[in-house]
Amino acid sequence: MALRPVVVTGLGIICAAGRDPAEFWTRLTTARGGLAPIEDPAYAVFAARHAGQVPDAWIDTQLPAGVEAGDRTARLALVAARQAIEQAGLPLPDPGPSAGPGFGSGVGGPGPAGPDPGRFGIILGKCQATPGPQGRYQPMHHTADVVARRLGLGGPRVLVSTACAAGGNAVGLARDKILTGEADAVLAGGVDPLLFGTYAGFAGLQALSTGPCRPYSHSDGLNLGEGAAFLLLEPLDLALARGATPLAEVAGYGLSADAYHATAPDPTGRGGAGAVRRALADAGLTPADVHYVSGHGTGTPANDAMEAKVMRLVFGERAPQVPTSSIKSFVGHTLGAAGAVEAVASVLALRHGVAPPTIGFDDDSRADLDYVPNDARPMTIDTVVSNNYAFGGNNVSLVLTRPRTGAGPGPSGQPRPHDPPARRDAVITGLGPVTGAGTGIAETAAAITAGRRADGRAPSLEGRTFAPRSLWRHMNRLSRLAIAASRLAWEDAGLKLPRRALDDVALVFATGAGSAESTGGFDDSIALNPNKPAVLSFSNVVLNATGGAVCQTLGLRGPTTTICNGAASASIALDCALEMIAAGKADVVLVVAADETPAPQATATPEGAGSASAASAPSAHSGFPYGLPTSASGAEGGVPGVAGGEGASGPVAQGAGSGAVAFVVESAEHCAQRGGRPYARVAGTRHVAGEGAEPVARSLELPGAAPGLVVGAATGLPRDAEEAAAVRARMPDALLTASAALIGDCQSATGAMNIALAALAVRDGITPALAGASGPEVAGSSGGEAAGGPYVAGPELAGAVERAVALTAAHDSVRGAVLLEAV
Amino acid sequence: MASVLATRHPEDTVYGQVGDVTVPLRFSTLAGEYQVLRERAAVLDLGGHRLIEITGPAAVDFAQRILARDVEYLTSDRCMMSLVLDDSGQVVDQVIAFGREDGLLLESSCGAGSKLLDHLNAHAVDGAEITDRSAELTVIGLEGPYAWGVVGRLIDGELASLPFESVVDATWEDVDIVFARTGYTGEYGYQMIVPREAASRLWAGALEHAQAAGQEALELAMLEVRQPIPRHEATPGATVIEIGANWLVDITKDDFVGRDAVLEAFESGDGRRTVGFTGCEGVPAPGTRVLAGGQDVGEVVHAVHSTGLGATLGLARVDPELAAAGLDLTVGGLGVTTLTSPYIVPKSWSIPII
Repeated sequence: MALRPVVVTGLGIICAAGRDPAEFWTRLTTARGGLAPIEDPAYAVFAARHAGQVPDAWIDTQLPAGVEAGDRTARLALVAARQAIEQAGLPLPDPGPSAGPGFGSGVGGPGPAGPDPGRFGIILGKCQATPGPQGRYQPMHHTADVVARRLGLGGPRVLVSTACAAGGNAVGLARDKILTGEADAVLAGGVDPLLFGTYAGFAGLQALSTGPCRPYSHSDGLNLGEGAAFLLLEPLDLALARGATPLAEVAGYGLSADAYHATAPDPTGRGGAGAVRRALADAGLTPADVHYVSGHGTGTPANDAMEAKVMRLVFGERAPQVPTSSIKSFVGHTLGAAGAVEAVASVLALRHGVAPPTIGFDDDSRADLDYVPNDARPMTIDTVVSNNYAFGGNNVSLVLTRPRTGAGPGPSGQPRPHDPPARRDAVITGLGPVTGAGTGIAETAAAITAGRRADGRAPSLEGRTFAPRSLWRHMNRLSRLAIAASRLAWEDAGLKLPRRALDDVALVFATGAGSAESTGGFDDSIALNPNKPAVLSFSNVVLNATGGAVCQTLGLRGPTTTICNGAASASIALDCALEMIAAGKADVVLVVAADETPAPQATATPEGAGSASAASAPSAHSGFPYGLPTSASGAEGGVPGVAGGEGASGPVAQGAGSGAVAFVVESAEHCAQRGGRPYARVAGTRHVAGEGAEPVARSLELPGAAPGLVVGAATGLPRDAEEAAAVRARMPDALLTASAALIGDCQSATGAMNIALAALAVRDGITPALAGASGPEVAGSSGGEAAGGPYVAGPELAGAVERAVALTAAHDSVRGAVLLEAV
Repeated sequence: MASVLATRHPEDTVYGQVGDVTVPLRFSTLAGEYQVLRERAAVLDLGGHRLIEITGPAAVDFAQRILARDVEYLTSDRCMMSLVLDDSGQVVDQVIAFGREDGLLLESSCGAGSKLLDHLNAHAVDGAEITDRSAELTVIGLEGPYAWGVVGRLIDGELASLPFESVVDATWEDVDIVFARTGYTGEYGYQMIVPREAASRLWAGALEHAQAAGQEALELAMLEVRQPIPRHEATPGATVIEIGANWLVDITKDDFVGRDAVLEAFESGDGRRTVGFTGCEGVPAPGTRVLAGGQDVGEVVHAVHSTGLGATLGLARVDPELAAAGLDLTVGGLGVTTLTSPYIVPKSWSIPII
């Protein structure tokens, strides 16, 4: 099947080795690196001080005045994003504080029509949670929101956080969004600034080189770096139609999980090799087609030794003839940006027919592979593989090729013929909720039927271990929750797969903020003494650590990624799962969402250190979805809703909670073949990005007949009214409930619970009661007529629900809707 | 029971009875075989290790009850070493448990297969089938600082750098084998479980890249890194704490045969502790008294002449406060010094797999 070709039409980069693509490439090809000692006196406590820093002036001179002053992360990202858009020949919106309507609307003067702003997305890779101006961690997706708002991007918005593989992962996911037809253009890239805490963590792991890093020859440690890079991806046909120049084709990508260790790469290289092999298969190419490999090349002994094994595994006897180099020798390790920085370099390598070198290479080393030592090398390059390997055992490989156009007239050639997007039915076959309301679907269903709720209880994992004890005892709370949820979902699905099949089972992890326990513990240790960081906590600070722990425990080595779009993460993760299934990359995907309430204690910020306190606690919770107290039991009548829940005597408000919810997504074919019993078919999903109430209504524009049940994203915030009103307007006959009534606000896990509850309602006909049958007023609405509801009054639904919708919401960022149908 | 490989061994191989099996103690000289094991790569005939399969719906629950370590989630790509205890907490055997798709495979220690099998059968439950596979399968080991290179030349370089205790179902010359990264001596170690009819060929193939070492060299190298050798160390009446094999027991497990006794030993803190020593002339016999300041504080468990140390190396079971390194004690009237393990540093610790 010929996939729609996806090409790169614009590049943007800012890093230690250049403020834009032209300068970056000049320095790469003239071997002028950007690693230098950090001047900031706060870093004087460390023995190793070299890093790849971006001068402030490089940022300031490329942005209009006043843009997100103080938010270095967003400013780095904006610089690179604007460059990519500009190179692609698309208009930049007015630089005012609120962006103009964006693309395709005539803004920017005459010129070829750009993509519709609603179909222009951003997929951003980011490893670190970065502090905002007040020192608190911003939500992970904040930077993507800022860039999207500034540039008027209203299409798919995804924050991928597979640590040091995130930038490459973002490019792959962007290609998926174009292949599914959701987007006509996507800015894909990565960003990370240099942060004191991260620096201390790597120093504590003894992973930093005391001089400029020397990948593949000295391998005595890495240098951290900072920067941002974006690639503008478009389908070839649309790019050519508007006269753009395709710079390279994103021919394929591959993801894999090591399932080996939290920080160390699998020494066999099989995880890394798996990613390369999947990427080449995705591109329809073989190892023999590869001319150059852009290596991860951090300069740590574990990484460099593992990468040599990947080269030998993939290329066999040809390995010494395939040049591979590490541009981290120029820019340091830019973490979440690294994959995008290296993808930009790879596109430039293809364009110019030059392989950038590994600088600082010791010619006396006994390397038996071709690391392109010290001097750039002109050579034929039609195909590049760009590899990244991350904490958590996440691997990504991108295959970039010279753009191939169809034969025909025109300066840039003609589009290549392609087939329509692949469609494969997917079903949800297993549910694994681990919340204060119950551990496992049986307990949860019993709680729903009995009208029991979490009421602030933490999930219980007593009475059973869900992992080998040797692993379990070293795991943080969030990993334990996620592993329990995953195993319970797996068991609920009745999946019995041999070891070999587990190598292809995919995992998509969804989280708003990752482990609050580890983040807090690590920050506390840094505040006390930056030279004594809590290294075990550090390895769990990366957002994908929990997903990695699930893979390690369950032995899953298939494609894996981590989505961090707040409470909308789970439905976006489901989209990723559906894309993997549609593309034939997996038959079974485990989606697991987990979040926990932040540790109660405050954390100090070391002076001048730029660290940050724990994530901000949710605010303004009434504890009652839609302002409605939940009925204490199915037998009791409803309590009229009062905004804020005051005066409700029986029910207890559900505040912020901790939980993990996993569900198994399977191709319908795979499920049928093994005789599985699905809960529901995934009939459609929809995500709408943007601020305010407008995206809420648009997210409900789902195909087909109206659903009988909506499991809403309400968590007891005043904004619940927007959702209730929108549901009422679009689906007036649907019953409305929300999982927050059962489990409280567990961020990403609440979104996943909504999906799980919709599936449960479709198959088993039960759902949590929200309030009395009288259809009380929606909190915050005015006027006599009820604007929302009817709400679910009792746990047993009157009849089978043929169709149910689950909603997710990261407010002012992304709204999601998932439509499930009876099988 | 004799090794299936006996016909392949040199004519002057010295055999000995170990438990219920006859095994090659030496193929040539102990010193030569030891040197191969510590400096290069040795091939081991582990035919004295019995292979017992546990299958059926209750296999994992049964194994979880029999084994002192946690095997609930032992997947088919992992193996682990565990003690098997009786109700009184006495060591029945020290096994390697391999996770398998349909249950587990237990590999006994040398010569302890009958004892292990009897114990398993005595505790048998419905739903867990116990099958002695030793009539069909045998084990060949590779051990040494360059054993990984042998794996690469013999089978597949990809297998050489497997993480410790990883297991792969592999193929060697069209024969299905179970390949595992294990290790008894602190050196790189691998085991291959092969059908008996293919064992001779694999043995011969391995000998093209490495030299054979017998049970004596293996046990010496094990002792030098304090790898427990149950037939020498699990003396009657000794608890796992006294033996120093706590790490092969997981008391956080809810239940397993012998758990109560182990817990009692943990909680009471009574009994002696085992410590290494060196120094005296000759090799003292097990049971030789150990004195401290003229007082009887314990006895020798097991001692040999260590090629690596060029001196006597032994284990003494002494009063807990004396089970520390650097103390001067007397064994059979001669002065010895207690040691911290490992007693020699394996070369493999400084040799990367490439």
